[in-house]
Amino acid sequence: MNSRSRYVWAYIMIAPTLLGTVLFWSWPAVYSIYLSFLKSEDFGMVNHWVGLANYEKLFKDKEFWKNLRNTLYYMILFVPLTLVFSTFFAVLLNAKIRGLSAYRVIFFLPQVTMPAAAAMVWVVLFAHDYGLINYVLGTDVAWISDTRFAMFALVIVGVWGAIGLNMLLILAGLQGIPKALYEAAEIDGAVRFRKFRYITLPLLTPTLFFTTIVLMIGATQVFDSIYLLIGKTNVALPEVRSLVYAYYQNSFVYYDQNYGAAIVDMLLVINLILTGLQFAFQKKWVTYD
Amino acid sequence: MENRRQAADRSYNWIIHVVLIAASIVMIIPFGWMILTSFKTVTEATQIPVKIFPSHPDFSSYAKAFEKTDFKHYYLNTAFTALMKTVFPVLFSSMAAYAFARIRFPGRTLLFFVIISVMMVPNPVFYTPQYLLMSKWGLVNSVTALWICALVSPFATFMLRQFFLGISKELEEAAILDGCNPFQTFRHIMLPLVKSALVAIVIIQLLWSWNELQWPLIINSSPDKLTLSSGLATLVSMFSTNYPILMAGALMAVIPMIVLFFIFQKKFIEGVAFSAHKG
Repeated sequence: MNSRSRYVWAYIMIAPTLLGTVLFWSWPAVYSIYLSFLKSEDFGMVNHWVGLANYEKLFKDKEFWKNLRNTLYYMILFVPLTLVFSTFFAVLLNAKIRGLSAYRVIFFLPQVTMPAAAAMVWVVLFAHDYGLINYVLGTDVAWISDTRFAMFALVIVGVWGAIGLNMLLILAGLQGIPKALYEAAEIDGAVRFRKFRYITLPLLTPTLFFTTIVLMIGATQVFDSIYLLIGKTNVALPEVRSLVYAYYQNSFVYYDQNYGAAIVDMLLVINLILTGLQFAFQKKWVTYD
Repeated sequence: MENRRQAADRSYNWIIHVVLIAASIVMIIPFGWMILTSFKTVTEATQIPVKIFPSHPDFSSYAKAFEKTDFKHYYLNTAFTALMKTVFPVLFSSMAAYAFARIRFPGRTLLFFVIISVMMVPNPVFYTPQYLLMSKWGLVNSVTALWICALVSPFATFMLRQFFLGISKELEEAAILDGCNPFQTFRHIMLPLVKSALVAIVIIQLLWSWNELQWPLIINSSPDKLTLSSGLATLVSMFSTNYPILMAGALMAVIPMIVLFFIFQKKFIEGVAFSAHKG
């Protein structure tokens, strides 16, 4: 078969994916940036070019800075907690114990659970007067409607949902560490903690770095749990409202698509920085593999 | 010396089990509470002090959730959307992935970059323009709008290309010598070799589609056009603190994926772990 007719086959085979991607994904991504420079009237029937006006409004808007701060605060709490718990359980599961697969299934269960449904049961668990959590802990906290605690409730739900997958990714990383290293350390009389500190942790850094970036990207996009755990009428909403929630509210509740586009484009910038970091450091670690 | 060491190992194992069992209980409490609450009466569910087990299991909340909302449509819409978002992306992506991995053609690198570049963009960025497109086509508030933008998957294309790249070229060369065209080679020789990757993609697409909230919430508002996720949001606004009904609804929404997960545990875990490497 000559190469020209192979080309034709190649174009035919990529055509559906290429056309679909350009139409449904690439063009919308570009258009979203364009939208942030417009002011639309009559549900987008009339558009005026307003330059940077939406961004000027954004940078002067106290609520935007608050939402950005909330998103970063969520990330700063959610990512390290998830990493610590996931690493802890992965190390325990790596000890060649019985029942590994049962534990794995249990920890993984939140991962296959619809976030909307999970958030709903957490509402019941966190309830102030008749919630199980206050009952068991003997506390008297309005977890999801007290402005001081709502963020913690949100983080707890996030960590609960994320441990299973990250524990498995870290466990896979642990299993890639050569056994011979531990044996050598044992001959030297190293204790468990020192083995973890000087062998496990350094060799696990590529895995931990990768999971950190993926978790950070996920954390910047938190929405489902805010929508159903906190809810739109909650007084604590301003304390947890993320960029994505603000985007949703501005674009589809207040119908200001252009301002919403400016918000979500800031999210895009943050995500591109995180992806850039990932690429930059991935190269650095290739030699480790 | 050796005995002391074995004893120490045994007690260490014992501690590990205690810690893991305690953690497992914490992990599954939400599921247990969902089930228990759905069988309570409203009074029992909001009783002080907390009543853990219902005195008479009451199943009526399930019927109420089903009757008072459009649960039947939520199920049908969710299942149909998941089906469309699984079949088409797998079909289109595997074809494109093969071509990108194995056929040299002008523009290959550029076109591949065009496709995978959207993977760096967070999903909410696409929603407003996609909404405007749907609105232009008159598809707002339709079942079609739930899945049409996801007919193609850059992510699946990227992952499958990696798999095709890892397969040795010998089999393929034999097929080409036999006069197979690229599509026949793909269909009969290469596709069967990436079966495990296809299964992983099917599971991820199914799970993501089933659990997705934001897009269905944005694009559809008619009760009969909602999915389980966006339907649950409606349930919450209808029955704010009628916890038994809310929990019955939540349980009905999560059961199908949990049952599938129990049946295909290993495939699910592999599939989702594999998807985490998309960055």
